[in-house]
Amino acid sequence: MAAPPPDARSLESELVSLRPVGSDAIVLRLRLPGSVPLLRAGRFFMLRRPDRLSPPIPRPFSLYRQEGSELEFLIKVIGPGTRALAATPPGQPLTVIGPLGRGWPTLDDASPWVAVAGGIGSAPFYEGIRQSLAGMDGAAPVSPRSWTLIYGGREEGMLYDLECFEELGVRVLPATDDGSRGFHGNAIDCLRAEWGAGRLPLRPRLLGCGPEPMMIALAALARDQDLECHLSLETYMGCGVGICNGCAVPTTPEGPLGAWPVAKCCTDGPVFPADAIRLEP
Amino acid sequence: MVDLSVSLAGLPLANPILSASGTFGHGLEMEGFVPPQALGAWVSKTVTLKPRPGNPMPRIAETRAGFLNSIGLENRGVDAYIEETLPRLAERGARVITNVGGEEVDDFARVTERLTERPEIDAFEVNLSCPNVSGGRLPFSTDPEVAERVLRAVKGVTDKPVLAKLSPNVTRIGEIAQGAEAGGADGLTAVNTVLGLGVDWRTRRPLLNTVVGGYSGSAIHPIALRCAWECLQATGLPVVGCGGIGGPEEALAFLCLGCHAVQVGTASFSDPSLLAGLAARVGALLEELGVETLEEYRGSFQVPQPAPLAARS
Repeated sequence: MAAPPPDARSLESELVSLRPVGSDAIVLRLRLPGSVPLLRAGRFFMLRRPDRLSPPIPRPFSLYRQEGSELEFLIKVIGPGTRALAATPPGQPLTVIGPLGRGWPTLDDASPWVAVAGGIGSAPFYEGIRQSLAGMDGAAPVSPRSWTLIYGGREEGMLYDLECFEELGVRVLPATDDGSRGFHGNAIDCLRAEWGAGRLPLRPRLLGCGPEPMMIALAALARDQDLECHLSLETYMGCGVGICNGCAVPTTPEGPLGAWPVAKCCTDGPVFPADAIRLEP
Repeated sequence: MVDLSVSLAGLPLANPILSASGTFGHGLEMEGFVPPQALGAWVSKTVTLKPRPGNPMPRIAETRAGFLNSIGLENRGVDAYIEETLPRLAERGARVITNVGGEEVDDFARVTERLTERPEIDAFEVNLSCPNVSGGRLPFSTDPEVAERVLRAVKGVTDKPVLAKLSPNVTRIGEIAQGAEAGGADGLTAVNTVLGLGVDWRTRRPLLNTVVGGYSGSAIHPIALRCAWECLQATGLPVVGCGGIGGPEEALAFLCLGCHAVQVGTASFSDPSLLAGLAARVGALLEELGVETLEEYRGSFQVPQPAPLAARS
Protein backbone atom coordinates (compact mmCIF):
# COMPACT_ATOMS: atom_id res chain seq x y z
CA MET A 1 0.00 0.00 0.00
CA ALA A 2 1.60 3.19 -1.18
CA ALA A 3 1.47 5.83 1.51
CA PRO A 4 2.49 9.48 1.45
CA PRO A 5 5.91 10.17 2.96
CA PRO A 6 5.88 10.44 6.77
CA ASP A 7 7.20 14.01 6.64
CA ALA A 8 4.40 15.25 4.34
CA ARG A 9 2.06 17.84 5.83
CA SER A 10 -0.60 20.24 4.70
CA LEU A 11 0.75 23.68 5.57
CA GLU A 12 0.08 27.33 5.07
CA SER A 13 3.11 29.12 3.63
CA GLU A 14 3.76 32.73 2.76
CA LEU A 15 4.46 33.79 -0.80
CA VAL A 16 7.76 35.67 -0.67
CA SER A 17 8.29 36.64 -4.29
CA LEU A 18 7.50 35.90 -7.92
CA ARG A 19 10.30 36.30 -10.43
CA PRO A 20 9.44 36.11 -14.14
CA VAL A 21 11.82 33.85 -16.09
CA GLY A 22 11.98 33.22 -19.81
CA SER A 23 9.00 33.87 -22.00
CA ASP A 24 6.23 32.21 -19.97
CA ALA A 25 7.41 31.05 -16.54
CA ILE A 26 7.93 32.26 -12.99
CA VAL A 27 10.09 31.32 -10.04
CA LEU A 28 7.70 31.28 -7.11
CA ARG A 29 9.40 31.59 -3.75
CA LEU A 30 7.60 30.78 -0.54
CA ARG A 31 8.44 30.47 3.12
CA LEU A 32 7.35 27.50 5.19
CA PRO A 33 6.65 27.90 8.89
CA GLY A 34 9.46 26.78 11.20
CA SER A 35 12.75 25.27 10.16
CA VAL A 36 12.87 22.88 7.22
CA PRO A 37 15.48 20.14 6.90
CA LEU A 38 17.26 19.70 3.56
CA LEU A 39 14.65 18.20 1.22
CA ARG A 40 15.74 15.59 -1.24
CA ALA A 41 16.04 16.91 -4.76
CA GLY A 42 13.36 15.59 -7.08
CA ARG A 43 10.60 15.62 -4.47
CA PHE A 44 7.57 17.81 -5.04
CA PHE A 45 4.84 19.84 -3.40
CA MET A 46 1.18 20.41 -4.22
CA LEU A 47 0.40 24.13 -4.34
CA ARG A 48 -2.83 26.07 -4.37
CA ARG A 49 -4.34 29.26 -3.11
CA PRO A 50 -6.12 28.78 0.22
CA ASP A 51 -9.51 29.80 -1.18
CA ARG A 52 -9.96 26.30 -2.71
CA LEU A 53 -11.33 27.96 -5.82
CA SER A 54 -8.27 28.85 -7.80
CA PRO A 55 -7.60 26.09 -8.48
CA PRO A 56 -9.89 23.76 -6.50
CA ILE A 57 -7.41 20.92 -6.87
CA PRO A 58 -3.79 21.73 -6.00
CA ARG A 59 -1.04 21.40 -8.62
CA PRO A 60 2.17 19.41 -8.28
CA PHE A 61 5.52 21.20 -8.71
CA SER A 62 9.04 19.91 -8.27
CA LEU A 63 11.18 21.57 -5.67
CA TYR A 64 13.39 23.84 -7.75
CA ARG A 65 15.64 25.32 -5.10
CA GLN A 66 15.78 25.32 -1.31
CA GLU A 67 17.34 27.91 0.93
CA GLY A 68 16.52 26.95 4.50
CA SER A 69 12.80 27.31 5.02
CA GLU A 70 12.38 29.19 1.73
CA LEU A 71 11.52 27.03 -1.26
CA GLU A 72 11.46 27.95 -4.92
CA PHE A 73 9.34 26.43 -7.65
CA LEU A 74 9.90 26.90 -11.37
CA ILE A 75 6.44 27.14 -12.88
CA LYS A 76 5.34 27.46 -16.50
CA VAL A 77 2.22 29.62 -16.54
CA ILE A 78 -0.03 27.61 -18.78
CA GLY A 79 -3.57 27.19 -17.43
CA PRO A 80 -6.03 28.44 -14.81
CA GLY A 81 -4.15 26.85 -11.90
CA THR A 82 -0.74 28.26 -12.72
CA ARG A 83 -2.27 31.62 -13.70
CA ALA A 84 -3.91 31.83 -10.28
CA LEU A 85 -0.59 31.11 -8.58
CA ALA A 86 1.22 33.65 -10.77
CA ALA A 87 -1.38 36.29 -9.92
CA THR A 88 -0.97 35.89 -6.16
CA PRO A 89 0.58 38.97 -4.53
CA PRO A 90 3.68 38.51 -2.35
CA GLY A 91 2.82 38.35 1.34
CA GLN A 92 -0.29 36.28 0.67
CA PRO A 93 -0.67 32.76 2.03
CA LEU A 94 -0.38 29.71 -0.20
CA THR A 95 -1.40 26.23 0.85
CA VAL A 96 1.29 23.62 0.30
CA ILE A 97 1.11 19.87 0.71
CA GLY A 98 4.44 18.18 0.98
CA PRO A 99 7.20 17.29 0.70
CA LEU A 100 5.86 14.48 -1.47
CA GLY A 101 7.21 11.61 -3.52
CA ARG A 102 10.62 10.04 -3.74
CA GLY A 103 13.31 12.19 -5.24
CA TRP A 104 16.33 11.36 -7.35
CA PRO A 105 18.43 8.36 -6.42
CA THR A 106 21.76 9.09 -4.75
CA LEU A 107 23.57 11.19 -7.34
CA ASP A 108 27.04 9.92 -6.45
CA ASP A 109 30.34 9.86 -8.32
CA ALA A 110 30.40 6.17 -9.30
CA SER A 111 30.12 7.24 -12.96
CA PRO A 112 29.28 10.50 -14.77
CA TRP A 113 25.78 11.90 -15.03
CA VAL A 114 24.10 13.31 -18.11
CA ALA A 115 20.87 15.12 -17.29
CA VAL A 116 18.48 15.84 -20.13
CA ALA A 117 15.94 18.59 -19.49
CA GLY A 118 13.16 19.70 -21.80
CA GLY A 119 11.72 23.15 -21.11
CA ILE A 120 10.13 23.36 -17.67
CA GLY A 121 11.51 19.84 -17.08
CA SER A 122 14.69 21.51 -15.84
CA ALA A 123 12.97 22.20 -12.50
CA PRO A 124 14.10 19.11 -10.54
CA PHE A 125 17.69 19.32 -11.83
CA TYR A 126 18.92 22.47 -10.15
CA GLU A 127 18.65 21.12 -6.62
CA GLY A 128 19.68 17.65 -7.86
CA ILE A 129 22.96 18.90 -9.26
CA ARG A 130 23.56 21.17 -6.29
CA GLN A 131 23.01 18.35 -3.79
CA SER A 132 25.17 16.00 -5.84
CA LEU A 133 28.03 18.52 -5.89
CA ALA A 134 27.72 18.85 -2.11
CA GLY A 135 27.59 15.07 -1.60
CA MET A 136 24.32 13.15 -1.23
CA ASP A 137 23.40 10.53 1.36
CA GLY A 138 26.92 10.54 2.82
CA ALA A 139 28.53 10.01 -0.62
CA ALA A 140 31.58 12.07 -1.55
CA PRO A 141 30.93 15.38 -3.29
CA VAL A 142 30.72 14.87 -7.04
CA SER A 143 33.04 16.92 -9.23
CA PRO A 144 31.28 19.39 -11.53
CA ARG A 145 33.23 17.70 -14.35
CA SER A 146 31.13 14.58 -13.80
CA TRP A 147 27.96 16.46 -14.74
CA THR A 148 26.53 17.45 -18.09
CA LEU A 149 23.16 19.14 -18.39
CA ILE A 150 21.56 19.15 -21.82
CA TYR A 151 18.86 21.78 -21.65
CA GLY A 152 16.47 21.86 -24.59
CA GLY A 153 13.62 24.23 -25.34
CA ARG A 154 11.55 25.43 -28.27
CA GLU A 155 13.34 28.77 -28.22
CA GLU A 156 15.73 30.69 -26.01
CA GLY A 157 12.88 32.04 -23.88
CA MET A 158 12.06 28.48 -22.85
CA LEU A 159 15.51 27.81 -21.42
CA TYR A 160 14.29 29.05 -18.06
CA ASP A 161 16.86 30.43 -15.64
CA LEU A 162 19.69 29.08 -17.82
CA GLU A 163 22.27 31.32 -16.11
CA CYS A 164 21.49 29.81 -12.71
CA PHE A 165 22.24 26.36 -14.06
CA GLU A 166 25.47 27.62 -15.63
CA GLU A 167 26.48 29.13 -12.29
CA LEU A 168 26.49 25.63 -10.78
CA GLY A 169 29.78 25.16 -12.66
CA VAL A 170 28.73 22.03 -14.53
CA ARG A 171 28.80 21.67 -18.30
CA VAL A 172 25.52 23.04 -19.66
CA LEU A 173 24.58 22.46 -23.29
CA PRO A 174 21.62 24.57 -24.39
CA ALA A 175 19.63 23.38 -27.38
CA THR A 176 16.74 25.10 -29.12
CA ASP A 177 14.38 23.92 -31.81
CA ASP A 178 14.71 27.23 -33.63
CA GLY A 179 18.45 27.57 -33.08
CA SER A 180 18.07 30.82 -31.13
CA ARG A 181 20.48 29.54 -28.47
CA GLY A 182 23.08 26.77 -28.47
CA PHE A 183 22.58 23.58 -30.46
CA HIS A 184 20.02 23.84 -33.26
CA GLY A 185 17.66 20.98 -32.50
CA ASN A 186 16.01 19.28 -29.56
CA ALA A 187 17.69 17.91 -26.45
CA ILE A 188 17.81 14.34 -27.77
CA ASP A 189 19.38 15.46 -31.06
CA CYS A 190 21.93 17.37 -29.02
CA LEU A 191 22.64 14.32 -26.86
CA ARG A 192 23.18 12.14 -29.94
CA ALA A 193 25.40 14.74 -31.62
CA GLU A 194 27.57 15.23 -28.55
CA TRP A 195 27.85 11.52 -28.03
CA GLY A 196 28.67 10.88 -31.67
CA ALA A 197 31.41 13.51 -31.47
CA GLY A 198 32.92 11.86 -28.40
CA ARG A 199 32.24 14.85 -26.19
CA LEU A 200 30.24 12.90 -23.63
CA PRO A 201 31.42 10.16 -21.27
CA LEU A 202 31.20 6.73 -22.89
CA ARG A 203 29.03 5.13 -20.19
CA PRO A 204 27.11 7.90 -18.42
CA ARG A 205 24.10 7.48 -16.22
CA LEU A 206 21.11 9.32 -17.65
CA LEU A 207 18.49 11.46 -15.96
CA GLY A 208 15.52 12.93 -17.78
CA CYS A 209 12.65 15.29 -17.23
CA GLY A 210 10.67 16.85 -20.03
CA PRO A 211 7.93 16.35 -22.58
CA GLU A 212 6.73 12.84 -23.31
CA PRO A 213 8.40 12.38 -26.73
CA MET A 214 11.74 13.37 -25.18
CA MET A 215 11.26 10.93 -22.32
CA ILE A 216 10.31 8.10 -24.69
CA ALA A 217 13.39 8.77 -26.82
CA LEU A 218 15.67 8.95 -23.79
CA ALA A 219 14.30 5.72 -22.34
CA ALA A 220 14.76 4.01 -25.73
CA LEU A 221 18.32 5.25 -25.96
CA ALA A 222 19.08 4.01 -22.45
CA ARG A 223 17.58 0.63 -23.30
CA ASP A 224 19.52 0.31 -26.55
CA GLN A 225 22.82 1.30 -24.94
CA ASP A 226 22.13 -0.54 -21.69
CA LEU A 227 22.58 2.60 -19.61
CA GLU A 228 21.13 3.35 -16.20
CA CYS A 229 18.39 5.94 -16.59
CA HIS A 230 15.99 7.65 -14.19
CA LEU A 231 13.05 9.73 -15.32
CA SER A 232 11.12 12.34 -13.36
CA LEU A 233 7.54 12.19 -14.65
CA GLU A 234 4.80 14.73 -14.79
CA THR A 235 1.19 13.51 -14.64
CA TYR A 236 -2.19 14.87 -13.74
CA MET A 237 -2.49 14.47 -9.99
CA GLY A 238 -5.65 14.74 -7.94
CA CYS A 239 -4.12 14.60 -4.50
CA GLY A 240 -0.35 13.96 -4.52
CA VAL A 241 -0.64 11.71 -1.47
CA GLY A 242 -1.72 8.40 -3.00
CA ILE A 243 -5.43 8.38 -2.29
CA CYS A 244 -7.06 9.33 -5.60
CA ASN A 245 -5.37 6.78 -7.92
CA GLY A 246 -5.47 9.39 -10.68
CA CYS A 247 -1.76 9.59 -11.49
CA ALA A 248 -1.33 5.99 -12.58
CA VAL A 249 1.78 5.14 -14.62
CA PRO A 250 1.81 1.79 -16.46
CA THR A 251 4.60 -0.49 -15.24
CA THR A 252 6.69 -2.99 -17.18
CA PRO A 253 5.94 -6.57 -16.09
CA GLU A 254 9.64 -7.42 -15.77
CA GLY A 255 10.59 -4.20 -13.93
CA PRO A 256 10.89 -3.56 -10.20
CA LEU A 257 7.27 -2.35 -9.98
CA GLY A 258 5.92 -5.09 -12.22
CA ALA A 259 3.84 -6.82 -9.55
CA TRP A 260 0.98 -4.41 -10.34
CA PRO A 261 0.02 -3.01 -13.79
CA VAL A 262 0.28 0.61 -12.68
CA ALA A 263 2.34 2.63 -10.23
CA LYS A 264 1.31 5.86 -8.56
CA CYS A 265 3.38 8.74 -9.85
CA CYS A 266 2.90 10.63 -6.58
CA THR A 267 3.99 8.02 -4.04
CA ASP A 268 5.99 5.53 -6.12
CA GLY A 269 7.62 8.35 -8.12
CA PRO A 270 7.79 10.92 -9.51
CA VAL A 271 11.29 9.61 -10.29
CA PHE A 272 11.25 6.12 -11.76
CA PRO A 273 13.94 3.86 -13.18
CA ALA A 274 13.27 4.05 -16.92
CA ASP A 275 12.95 0.27 -17.21
CA ALA A 276 10.22 0.15 -14.55
CA ILE A 277 7.62 2.08 -16.49
CA ARG A 278 5.94 2.11 -19.88
CA LEU A 279 5.78 5.55 -21.45
CA GLU A 280 4.41 4.74 -24.89
CA PRO A 281 0.65 5.35 -25.10
CA MET B 1 -18.63 20.80 23.90
CA VAL B 2 -21.47 19.63 21.71
CA ASP B 3 -22.11 15.89 21.87
CA LEU B 4 -21.58 14.76 18.27
CA SER B 5 -22.07 11.05 18.86
CA VAL B 6 -24.54 9.28 16.66
CA SER B 7 -25.79 5.76 16.15
CA LEU B 8 -25.68 4.77 12.48
CA ALA B 9 -27.67 1.62 11.75
CA GLY B 10 -26.84 0.36 15.23
CA LEU B 11 -23.19 1.36 14.93
CA PRO B 12 -22.18 3.91 17.56
CA LEU B 13 -19.95 6.64 16.08
CA ALA B 14 -18.06 9.31 18.03
CA ASN B 15 -18.97 11.85 15.36
CA PRO B 16 -20.85 11.90 12.05
CA ILE B 17 -17.84 12.62 9.79
CA LEU B 18 -16.77 9.76 7.52
CA SER B 19 -14.40 9.57 4.59
CA ALA B 20 -16.01 8.80 1.23
CA SER B 21 -14.97 5.59 -0.45
CA GLY B 22 -12.20 5.94 -2.99
CA THR B 23 -10.99 9.28 -1.71
CA PHE B 24 -9.06 8.26 1.37
CA GLY B 25 -7.27 5.02 0.49
CA HIS B 26 -7.92 2.59 3.29
CA GLY B 27 -7.42 5.36 5.83
CA LEU B 28 -4.04 4.05 6.94
CA GLU B 29 -2.27 6.02 4.26
CA MET B 30 -3.60 9.25 5.69
CA GLU B 31 -2.48 8.98 9.29
CA GLY B 32 0.09 11.73 8.81
CA PHE B 33 -2.72 14.10 7.88
CA VAL B 34 -5.73 12.82 9.83
CA PRO B 35 -5.47 10.93 13.15
CA PRO B 36 -7.76 7.86 13.12
CA GLN B 37 -9.82 9.09 16.08
CA ALA B 38 -10.78 12.29 14.23
CA LEU B 39 -13.26 10.41 12.07
CA GLY B 40 -16.50 8.69 13.00
CA ALA B 41 -15.40 5.92 10.66
CA TRP B 42 -13.06 5.23 7.77
CA VAL B 43 -14.78 4.04 4.62
CA SER B 44 -12.42 1.94 2.52
CA LYS B 45 -11.77 2.12 -1.16
CA THR B 46 -13.98 -0.38 -2.98
CA VAL B 47 -12.78 -3.96 -2.53
CA THR B 48 -13.63 -6.41 -5.31
CA LEU B 49 -13.35 -10.18 -5.54
CA LYS B 50 -10.55 -10.11 -8.11
CA PRO B 51 -7.79 -7.51 -8.47
CA ARG B 52 -8.70 -4.69 -10.85
CA PRO B 53 -5.96 -2.67 -12.56
CA GLY B 54 -8.36 0.22 -13.16
CA ASN B 55 -8.95 2.29 -16.27
CA PRO B 56 -6.37 3.73 -18.69
CA MET B 57 -5.12 7.28 -18.34
CA PRO B 58 -6.16 10.04 -18.19
CA ARG B 59 -8.29 9.14 -15.19
CA ILE B 60 -8.86 12.54 -13.67
CA ALA B 61 -9.55 16.07 -14.80
CA GLU B 62 -10.38 19.30 -13.07
CA THR B 63 -13.17 21.46 -14.42
CA ARG B 64 -14.14 24.95 -13.36
CA ALA B 65 -16.48 23.85 -10.58
CA GLY B 66 -15.54 20.27 -9.87
CA PHE B 67 -13.59 17.15 -10.53
CA LEU B 68 -14.06 14.37 -13.10
CA ASN B 69 -12.73 10.90 -12.46
CA SER B 70 -12.68 7.52 -14.04
CA ILE B 71 -10.40 5.43 -11.88
CA GLY B 72 -12.28 2.20 -12.54
CA LEU B 73 -12.12 0.73 -9.02
CA GLU B 74 -8.39 0.01 -9.12
CA ASN B 75 -7.77 -2.31 -6.19
CA ARG B 76 -5.78 -5.42 -5.39
CA GLY B 77 -8.77 -7.59 -4.61
CA VAL B 78 -10.20 -9.12 -1.47
CA ASP B 79 -7.28 -11.49 -0.82
CA ALA B 80 -4.77 -8.64 -0.68
CA TYR B 81 -7.19 -6.63 1.47
CA ILE B 82 -7.35 -9.49 3.96
CA GLU B 83 -3.63 -10.22 3.94
CA GLU B 84 -2.16 -6.71 3.77
CA THR B 85 -4.68 -4.09 4.84
CA LEU B 86 -6.84 -5.57 7.59
CA PRO B 87 -4.01 -6.64 9.90
CA ARG B 88 -2.78 -3.05 9.92
CA LEU B 89 -6.26 -1.65 10.51
CA ALA B 90 -6.56 -3.84 13.61
CA GLU B 91 -3.90 -1.81 15.40
CA ARG B 92 -5.67 1.49 14.90
CA GLY B 93 -8.88 1.11 16.84
CA ALA B 94 -10.71 3.12 14.18
CA ARG B 95 -14.22 2.26 13.08
CA VAL B 96 -14.02 0.72 9.63
CA ILE B 97 -16.72 0.49 6.99
CA THR B 98 -15.54 -1.66 4.11
CA ASN B 99 -16.93 -0.74 0.72
CA VAL B 100 -17.51 -3.75 -1.54
CA GLY B 101 -18.10 -3.81 -5.28
CA GLY B 102 -18.63 -6.24 -8.10
CA GLU B 103 -19.58 -6.83 -11.71
CA GLU B 104 -22.30 -9.41 -10.96
CA VAL B 105 -24.89 -9.63 -8.18
CA ASP B 106 -23.13 -12.67 -6.78
CA ASP B 107 -19.75 -10.86 -6.57
CA PHE B 108 -20.99 -8.54 -3.83
CA ALA B 109 -22.05 -11.44 -1.64
CA ARG B 110 -18.86 -13.38 -2.26
CA VAL B 111 -16.63 -10.47 -1.23
CA THR B 112 -18.76 -9.76 1.82
CA GLU B 113 -18.74 -13.42 2.79
CA ARG B 114 -14.94 -13.45 2.73
CA LEU B 115 -14.83 -10.42 5.01
CA THR B 116 -17.76 -10.72 7.39
CA GLU B 117 -15.94 -12.64 10.13
CA ARG B 118 -13.12 -10.11 10.27
CA PRO B 119 -13.28 -8.24 13.59
CA GLU B 120 -11.58 -5.15 12.08
CA ILE B 121 -14.67 -4.45 9.97
CA ASP B 122 -17.63 -2.80 11.68
CA ALA B 123 -19.99 -2.46 8.72
CA PHE B 124 -20.19 -2.76 4.95
CA GLU B 125 -21.09 -0.29 2.26
CA VAL B 126 -22.26 -1.80 -1.01
CA ASN B 127 -21.07 0.18 -4.02
CA LEU B 128 -24.11 -0.10 -6.27
CA SER B 129 -23.21 3.02 -8.13
CA CYS B 130 -19.72 3.24 -9.56
CA PRO B 131 -20.09 4.94 -12.94
CA ASN B 132 -16.69 3.79 -14.15
CA VAL B 133 -17.24 0.06 -14.49
CA SER B 134 -19.54 -1.92 -16.75
CA GLY B 135 -19.20 0.83 -19.34
CA GLY B 136 -21.11 3.35 -17.24
CA ARG B 137 -24.30 1.30 -17.36
CA LEU B 138 -24.81 1.47 -13.60
CA PRO B 139 -26.46 -1.95 -13.61
CA PHE B 140 -27.10 -2.11 -9.86
CA SER B 141 -28.27 1.38 -9.04
CA THR B 142 -30.80 2.16 -11.75
CA ASP B 143 -33.28 -0.64 -11.18
CA PRO B 144 -34.93 -1.06 -7.76
CA GLU B 145 -35.31 -4.82 -8.23
CA VAL B 146 -31.62 -5.33 -9.00
CA ALA B 147 -30.63 -3.15 -6.04
CA GLU B 148 -32.91 -5.28 -3.89
CA ARG B 149 -31.30 -8.49 -5.18
CA VAL B 150 -27.78 -7.23 -4.42
CA LEU B 151 -28.74 -6.17 -0.91
CA ARG B 152 -30.58 -9.43 -0.24
CA ALA B 153 -27.52 -11.39 -1.38
CA VAL B 154 -25.18 -9.36 0.83
CA LYS B 155 -27.49 -9.44 3.85
CA GLY B 156 -27.70 -13.19 3.41
CA VAL B 157 -24.01 -13.56 4.28
CA THR B 158 -23.45 -10.98 7.01
CA ASP B 159 -25.01 -9.85 10.27
CA LYS B 160 -23.08 -6.57 10.22
CA PRO B 161 -24.81 -3.34 9.19
CA VAL B 162 -24.91 -2.81 5.42
CA LEU B 163 -25.22 0.57 3.73
CA ALA B 164 -26.24 0.83 0.09
CA LYS B 165 -24.41 3.57 -1.81
CA LEU B 166 -26.75 4.98 -4.41
CA SER B 167 -26.25 6.82 -7.67
CA PRO B 168 -27.74 10.24 -8.40
CA ASN B 169 -27.96 9.25 -12.08
CA VAL B 170 -31.56 8.08 -11.93
CA THR B 171 -34.95 9.65 -12.42
CA ARG B 172 -36.35 8.79 -8.98
CA ILE B 173 -33.68 7.84 -6.43
CA GLY B 174 -36.37 7.19 -3.82
CA GLU B 175 -37.47 4.10 -5.75
CA ILE B 176 -33.94 2.69 -5.76
CA ALA B 177 -33.72 3.47 -2.04
CA GLN B 178 -36.93 1.49 -1.50
CA GLY B 179 -35.47 -1.41 -3.45
CA ALA B 180 -32.39 -1.40 -1.24
CA GLU B 181 -34.61 -1.22 1.85
CA ALA B 182 -36.67 -4.17 0.63
CA GLY B 183 -33.42 -6.11 0.16
CA GLY B 184 -32.55 -5.54 3.81
CA ALA B 185 -30.20 -2.54 3.71
CA ASP B 186 -29.58 -1.03 7.13
CA GLY B 187 -28.82 2.40 5.72
CA LEU B 188 -28.19 4.37 2.55
CA THR B 189 -25.33 6.49 1.32
CA ALA B 190 -26.53 9.28 -0.94
CA VAL B 191 -24.78 9.80 -3.29
CA ASN B 192 -22.01 8.62 -5.56
CA THR B 193 -20.68 10.84 -8.37
CA VAL B 194 -22.82 12.44 -11.05
CA LEU B 195 -22.14 11.21 -14.59
CA GLY B 196 -20.20 13.85 -16.47
CA LEU B 197 -18.09 14.48 -19.55
CA GLY B 198 -15.28 16.93 -20.24
CA VAL B 199 -14.05 18.07 -23.65
CA ASP B 200 -10.69 19.57 -24.52
CA TRP B 201 -11.88 21.81 -27.34
CA ARG B 202 -8.34 22.36 -28.56
CA THR B 203 -7.26 18.74 -28.96
CA ARG B 204 -10.89 17.70 -29.66
CA ARG B 205 -10.54 14.85 -27.20
CA PRO B 206 -12.40 13.87 -24.04
CA LEU B 207 -10.74 14.84 -20.76
CA LEU B 208 -11.14 11.26 -19.53
CA ASN B 209 -10.05 8.14 -21.34
CA THR B 210 -13.47 6.57 -20.77
CA VAL B 211 -15.16 9.71 -22.19
CA VAL B 212 -17.83 9.68 -19.45
CA GLY B 213 -16.85 9.63 -15.78
CA GLY B 214 -17.95 10.63 -12.31
CA TYR B 215 -18.30 14.31 -11.45
CA SER B 216 -17.77 15.44 -7.87
CA GLY B 217 -16.86 18.44 -5.74
CA SER B 218 -18.68 21.57 -4.61
CA ALA B 219 -20.84 21.72 -7.71
CA ILE B 220 -22.78 18.57 -6.83
CA HIS B 221 -23.67 19.53 -3.25
CA PRO B 222 -27.25 20.67 -4.00
CA ILE B 223 -27.80 17.58 -6.16
CA ALA B 224 -26.61 15.38 -3.31
CA LEU B 225 -28.81 17.19 -0.79
CA ARG B 226 -31.83 16.69 -3.00
CA CYS B 227 -31.01 12.98 -3.36
CA ALA B 228 -30.52 12.55 0.39
CA TRP B 229 -33.82 14.35 1.00
CA GLU B 230 -35.66 12.04 -1.37
CA CYS B 231 -34.11 8.98 0.25
CA LEU B 232 -35.12 10.21 3.70
CA GLN B 233 -38.67 10.70 2.51
CA ALA B 234 -38.90 7.41 0.61
CA THR B 235 -37.62 5.06 3.32
CA GLY B 236 -37.26 4.77 7.06
CA LEU B 237 -33.55 4.04 6.73
CA PRO B 238 -30.74 6.17 8.12
CA VAL B 239 -29.04 8.12 5.34
CA VAL B 240 -25.38 9.09 5.06
CA GLY B 241 -25.12 12.30 3.04
CA CYS B 242 -22.30 12.55 0.54
CA GLY B 243 -21.54 15.12 -2.14
CA GLY B 244 -19.74 18.43 -2.28
CA ILE B 245 -18.83 18.84 1.36
CA GLY B 246 -15.92 21.27 1.65
CA GLY B 247 -16.48 22.53 5.17
CA PRO B 248 -18.75 22.25 8.21
CA GLU B 249 -21.61 24.19 6.62
CA GLU B 250 -22.25 21.57 3.92
CA ALA B 251 -21.96 18.78 6.48
CA LEU B 252 -24.55 20.51 8.66
CA ALA B 253 -26.90 20.89 5.70
CA PHE B 254 -27.07 17.09 5.35
CA LEU B 255 -27.47 16.64 9.11
CA CYS B 256 -30.20 19.28 9.22
CA LEU B 257 -32.15 17.30 6.62
CA GLY B 258 -31.98 14.31 8.92
CA CYS B 259 -28.91 12.43 7.71
CA HIS B 260 -27.21 10.43 10.46
CA ALA B 261 -23.72 11.03 9.10
CA VAL B 262 -21.87 12.49 6.16
CA GLN B 263 -18.99 11.48 3.92
CA VAL B 264 -16.33 13.80 2.57
CA GLY B 265 -14.59 12.96 -0.71
CA THR B 266 -13.09 15.32 -3.25
CA ALA B 267 -12.31 18.01 -0.65
CA SER B 268 -9.67 15.71 0.83
CA PHE B 269 -7.74 16.08 -2.44
CA SER B 270 -7.74 19.82 -2.00
CA ASP B 271 -6.72 19.53 1.65
CA PRO B 272 -5.71 16.10 2.96
CA SER B 273 -5.92 17.45 6.53
CA LEU B 274 -9.49 18.71 6.17
CA LEU B 275 -11.04 15.75 7.97
CA ALA B 276 -8.75 16.17 10.98
CA GLY B 277 -10.63 19.24 12.16
CA LEU B 278 -14.00 18.93 10.49
CA ALA B 279 -15.92 17.32 13.36
CA ALA B 280 -14.70 20.01 15.76
CA ARG B 281 -15.76 22.71 13.29
CA VAL B 282 -19.22 21.14 13.00
CA GLY B 283 -19.42 21.13 16.79
CA ALA B 284 -18.35 24.78 16.98
CA LEU B 285 -21.11 25.85 14.60
CA LEU B 286 -23.71 23.87 16.53
CA GLU B 287 -22.50 25.54 19.71
CA GLU B 288 -23.11 28.91 18.05
CA LEU B 289 -26.70 27.81 17.51
CA GLY B 290 -26.98 26.94 21.19
CA VAL B 291 -27.38 23.26 20.38
CA GLU B 292 -26.07 20.75 22.94
CA THR B 293 -26.29 17.48 21.07
CA LEU B 294 -26.19 16.54 17.41
CA GLU B 295 -29.31 14.42 17.93
CA GLU B 296 -31.20 17.54 18.94
CA TYR B 297 -30.22 19.27 15.68
CA ARG B 298 -30.41 16.32 13.30
CA GLY B 299 -33.54 16.38 11.16
CA SER B 300 -34.63 19.81 12.35
CA PHE B 301 -35.11 20.97 8.76
CA GLN B 302 -38.26 23.08 8.48
CA VAL B 303 -40.06 23.69 5.22
CA PRO B 304 -42.11 26.91 5.39
CA GLN B 305 -45.68 26.61 4.14
CA PRO B 306 -46.54 30.10 2.88
CA ALA B 307 -50.00 30.80 1.57
CA PRO B 308 -50.12 30.35 -2.22
CA LEU B 309 -50.18 33.49 -4.31
CA ALA B 310 -53.54 34.20 -5.81
CA ALA B 311 -53.68 34.68 -9.56
CA ARG B 312 -54.84 38.06 -10.84
CA SER B 313 -56.62 38.49 -14.08
